[in-house]
Amino acid sequence: MNQIPIGGLSAVAEAEKPTRRAQAKRRTREKIVGAAKSLFAERGYESATIRDIAKAAGMSTGAVFASFTDKSDLFTEIAEAEQAELYQTMQLAAAGLSGHAAITAMLDAARERHAGELALVRAVMSALWTPGLAERARRRLERRPVTTLIAAAAREALPTAEAVQAAFVAELIWDGYLATLRRAALGGLTADAVKARIDAGARTILAGSQPG
Amino acid sequence: MREARKQATRRRVLGAARELFEEVGYESATIREIAGRAGVSVGSVFTGFCSKAHILSEVMQERLGDLYGDLERVAPHLRGSTADRCRSMFAVHYAFEFRRLHLFLAYVAAGFDWRADPDLPAMGANPRLRGMIRDCLAEGVRRGDVRADADLELVVDLLVGVYAWNYRRAAAQPVRPEQLTDLFDRQVGVIFAGLAPG
Repeated sequence: MNQIPIGGLSAVAEAEKPTRRAQAKRRTREKIVGAAKSLFAERGYESATIRDIAKAAGMSTGAVFASFTDKSDLFTEIAEAEQAELYQTMQLAAAGLSGHAAITAMLDAARERHAGELALVRAVMSALWTPGLAERARRRLERRPVTTLIAAAAREALPTAEAVQAAFVAELIWDGYLATLRRAALGGLTADAVKARIDAGARTILAGSQPG
Repeated sequence: MREARKQATRRRVLGAARELFEEVGYESATIREIAGRAGVSVGSVFTGFCSKAHILSEVMQERLGDLYGDLERVAPHLRGSTADRCRSMFAVHYAFEFRRLHLFLAYVAAGFDWRADPDLPAMGANPRLRGMIRDCLAEGVRRGDVRADADLELVVDLLVGVYAWNYRRAAAQPVRPEQLTDLFDRQVGVIFAGLAPG
């Protein structure tokens, strides 16, 4: 019981002590990702070119292609890292809570996180609609792991709901959240107003999902 | 005279752009090609429009004039619950946009483009669509199947937002308009159940 396999331990040790070459490779990737993130946020997916990204990162176009197969690969890596961080933020916010309270806390945490990076959010949203984005990249971005978090809380809020129904409600809550976020991105709403709208939307959807 | 010539150029540019967008797609069409087909210089395209996104927006507005004209004629004759009236109005939208689906998807993508002129009508912000949905909701409050204290602007945002987000399924894989209409009908059911007077 609770034994840590030896192989697992040595794998951890190896991960903690990367070779110099691996370290350099990782630093290069981080530099590219950092430059790409601000360029995508500034210009959008279509207009930010690999050449511009390489220039901003202070390296050659070839060096970028040594780390990423193409622009959609680079973009997807950034968007996926954002999704993973958003997932953790929401999971943390819901710790110790359940049902509707957990959903409210998760949406509020998402709102706070997204408020600081609306430009990147817009770039991701726009890219999802752009036919230029590779199919493989789109499939990776289309998965919305955060809705599984919301679905778990929705099942607690709606005890008689089937898993399929909870997933449907969670998608709808997240769609409603994104609709409000889009409005926030266009400007003209205070943070409190955005929060109130997100809460009211989720409340309406949960109330409408109660049986009977 | 000068104004008339300007209007004629504008019409030619919009006509050429609509044809090109349909033939080669919005992304591939260039301003130079649009100018060439319209028989005007690139410079005179830019006196009437500030970007390709602007031209797309105008092309879509022109198209939508027909759609909203029809909807406004249909709206007073809609029957059933407020949810059903909303469903009918959005079903007309899904059927209409599927006729030029790629153009519509390009329009949505451009709608997220923050570099576009903020004065351009953004997707989902169309005052006529929003007005019709708001009227339908207000009628629902009078009829008693929508709660009187509901924030109608918020419900309009929710409905239009959910309606538009459903199209991302069409961006990812081929779907039929009925599939989106069925999904939206279920979503509307949940939203209106949540708006029912307590």
